[in-house]
Amino acid sequence: MRMDEQELVRQIQEGDEMAFAEIVKIYKDKIVNFLWKITGDYQKAVELSQETFMRVYFKAHRYKPIAPFSSWVYTIASNLAKTEMKKMRRYAAVSLDDVQNNLPMETYASNPTDSGLLSNLREALNSLHPRYKIPVILKDIEGFSQEEIAQMLKSPLGTIKARISRGRDYLKKELEKASSKGNSLALNEEYQDG
Amino acid sequence: MRSIKMDELNLLQKLERVKAPPDFEQRVLTQLSVRKRKRVRVRNLSLSVAGAFSAALVIFIVLNVFILPEKSPVGIADMDKKSMAPAFEAEEMPAQKTTIPIIEAVDYGEEVRSISREPRTIYLLEQVSDEVSSTIKY
Repeated sequence: MRMDEQELVRQIQEGDEMAFAEIVKIYKDKIVNFLWKITGDYQKAVELSQETFMRVYFKAHRYKPIAPFSSWVYTIASNLAKTEMKKMRRYAAVSLDDVQNNLPMETYASNPTDSGLLSNLREALNSLHPRYKIPVILKDIEGFSQEEIAQMLKSPLGTIKARISRGRDYLKKELEKASSKGNSLALNEEYQDG
Repeated sequence: MRSIKMDELNLLQKLERVKAPPDFEQRVLTQLSVRKRKRVRVRNLSLSVAGAFSAALVIFIVLNVFILPEKSPVGIADMDKKSMAPAFEAEEMPAQKTTIPIIEAVDYGEEVRSISREPRTIYLLEQVSDEVSSTIKY
């Protein structure tokens, strides 16, 4: 945790709203993006992010600087996402393609040229169970270590390693399936064209 | 079929990212003020309810222990007399008769019960009539 962030956290624990606003500025994009990847719904991600920051403020006194502050914030966000996914009871989330079409361009932080592979990966990630999706996103997208993830999700390290491994295997299989479908479609088109 | 190598999962990092809406911070701070006000209201309400309950409890205890008098055995006997008064009057014989029926209902069970509350209670039997009659009906 940076020194200035440490100081901000200390001030939040004393009820300083200006310090809290600074923390919101630092983490808002990361948390919204993280929750969007999990839920697949941008509006829901924004709502959950607001709730995350509410809890950061009102429960700041519970934070102990044993772990980085960022992992504490992500822990709160993960718990809210898990609860929300249970409520929604949909493991195959709304297709990100549908959500994207409704979002203004400035919503995107990065808009790389989409390849078929990225689109397939998005679909595969969407269909992954939250039990595996959350650890995979935290590891491969947000960059946390497996030990940090185990602490955040309050699961044994072995369990987290297994879930990350299974999540990746699932994504690989889905990509291979989609890739082979694409190849056979291309072959069919070639035959049709003669 | 193209095999997906492990490092191709770095593709996950190439997925598009979204940003928070432009007014996100303002929304959060507004929600924070609303929640703070709500918490103060809830806390005040809880304190009021707790205070009212405590006051009611204290009043109840004071009333029952200090203010409301305890009923004495004599009082109980008097109550019994009063409750039996209409029957007593109905039973009263005209003066020309020789015997004066004296009927007094005494609840010995109540008398005994009241003894346990008041130790060292002394009961005095007193003559209720100046006339000495040989026939006294009890």
